[in-house]
Amino acid sequence: MSRIGNWLAAPVAAVLVALCLAPLAVLFAYSFFQVDFVTISTDPTLKNYARIAGSATYRALIGHAFLSGAVVVAITALIGYPVAWFIARRGGVRKSALLTLLLVPLYTGDMVRIFAWRVILGAEGVLNRLFLWLGLIDQPLQVLLFSPVASHLVLVYNYLPFMVIGLWLGFEALDERLTEAARDLGAPAREVFRRVTLPLTLPGLIAGGMMVFVLVVGDHLTPQLLGGASGVTVISAINDLFGTAFDWPLGSAIACTLLATLGLCCALAAFALSRTELGRSLAAGEA
Amino acid sequence: MTLKLERRSLLKALLAGSAMGVLPLRTLAAEPELVWMVWENLAKDEYLEPFLDATGISVTKIFIGTDDEQFAKLRAGGSDAVDLITPGFDKVDYYLASDLIREIDMSRIPNTEKLYDAFRTSPLGKKDGKTYGLPFYWGINPLVYRKDLMDAEPDWSVFFEDSKYAGKLAMRDYALEAVMIAAMYLEVPRDRIFSMDDAQLAEVKKALIAQKKLLRTYWTSIGDLTNLFAAGEVVAAYSWVPPYHELNARGLPMGIANPRQGTIGWADSLCIPASVSGERLEAVYKLIDYLLGPVYGEMLAVGGPYAQSTSSARDLLTRQQRETIFIEDMSVMDSFVWRSNPERYTEWVALWNEVKAS
Repeated sequence: MSRIGNWLAAPVAAVLVALCLAPLAVLFAYSFFQVDFVTISTDPTLKNYARIAGSATYRALIGHAFLSGAVVVAITALIGYPVAWFIARRGGVRKSALLTLLLVPLYTGDMVRIFAWRVILGAEGVLNRLFLWLGLIDQPLQVLLFSPVASHLVLVYNYLPFMVIGLWLGFEALDERLTEAARDLGAPAREVFRRVTLPLTLPGLIAGGMMVFVLVVGDHLTPQLLGGASGVTVISAINDLFGTAFDWPLGSAIACTLLATLGLCCALAAFALSRTELGRSLAAGEA
Repeated sequence: MTLKLERRSLLKALLAGSAMGVLPLRTLAAEPELVWMVWENLAKDEYLEPFLDATGISVTKIFIGTDDEQFAKLRAGGSDAVDLITPGFDKVDYYLASDLIREIDMSRIPNTEKLYDAFRTSPLGKKDGKTYGLPFYWGINPLVYRKDLMDAEPDWSVFFEDSKYAGKLAMRDYALEAVMIAAMYLEVPRDRIFSMDDAQLAEVKKALIAQKKLLRTYWTSIGDLTNLFAAGEVVAAYSWVPPYHELNARGLPMGIANPRQGTIGWADSLCIPASVSGERLEAVYKLIDYLLGPVYGEMLAVGGPYAQSTSSARDLLTRQQRETIFIEDMSVMDSFVWRSNPERYTEWVALWNEVKAS
């Protein structure tokens, strides 16, 4: 049976290799090439990686992408926990409807969401008009749109559903009797969350957090269209290099560096987690 | 009616049918079917209809979104499937260096006799005295502003010096033009802009970093900028012409400034991929001649509104139409800085990324 299973899995594996690994391999190979006007020289060199290491700009852009990812993960986790708990524990027969409702914004497409937020956050937008009408401000708040605040607000809005789904799965797998037992034994609510709920929903938090983090790092439209003059991202820099500058090798090298840094961060996080008692329990399937 | 079916006629019919299946349809057509890679607004059906009717040649259009996309498609091996492309006049060098295009025989295109001098004498699109890119249509990328929200006509200094308009300005997110405008503001001589040295580029970078604090945003699509003007988020921007026409038509008083430091002029060109030959080449020459001729030129001037690179349609237009496409007084070209190909463009892009990330 297992041999048949292997054979049946072969086409899927082949498609994965062809569609995912092969383009990455090409990208990796290009990162060692050089460009002279429009001619790409295939003599291998490390100059592109040296340029990245020596460029404060590219290092800062990669660092900024990771910082943005971490901030959005933290905020979506804070909002996502009570939302996921409510759907899992209080959703009842409306659970499916609530989950569908959660996903509705994702059906509208990036550009629609971005322009809808512009209507809300603009100088003449809904929020500024409301604040002016309430007498809270004399002048429209410019910081509401075309600022890091705006782009992070919309990033949170865009990717919150991914965090909630991860956490909801965690809550669904959580045995309610354990939290009841903790309460019966006199643990206050905060301790029940810290010592029972959080550890047992951690796999959902990690899954949701990983999804949100990767999506935020890869999103360049939202910061570009809502972040104003500070909306540059490492992805838009790669886009410039592949497009207008025709410097595919440097663009590839930055993309590979970003990917490697992402992998390294995940590995370090997994290693750090594995050193904790909770991590060992998770690995053993006890938590 | 009776149908006689003889063995000979049956065999002939079968052979003809087989040939139809084996040979590409385009080789059997009376006139070739050309494939033109082009911006959508230049190849509207009504613009091409007179040509199609008169020649029997058919034209399939492949629309492009950016110049870079067109170049990438051809570089990736798409040049054999295309008969005519429409790169920026300043980008022809890219195609030439990649051996993607062939020489254009100007004697086969009578309407090239009417090319404006600025294009006839331009070094762009040429190599060793041969023409590879033929200027097709042109325009300006001006400083557009809201007349109702600004006290006076601005110039480029508004993007670099603090004023009450700080925070209400927009600049295109494009290295070439951002650096060009900073160089114009710094009054770098026009013939030196595309070959600036390290010291000049350092000054440009300083100016662009100072500019960043004054901007509301960088725009990436002209539809986006039009919205920003309409919503009052932006009062002045380095722009393309469409927001000026569109918003004026909707009742917003828009202006085009004439900065003393100069205005960016651009032209797109027509190039023939290297693989085009024989009948197809003949048909392409006919199409190019039509595109530089009076019928197409008039429709482009009215519908675009854009000016072609020849004077073919000039006398067919009203004074107002000529003013709209900047050909009433051709001395306007004296203030243009034509987009060209910088010697150190990769460094310009790196500089631009450093400015945006600062």
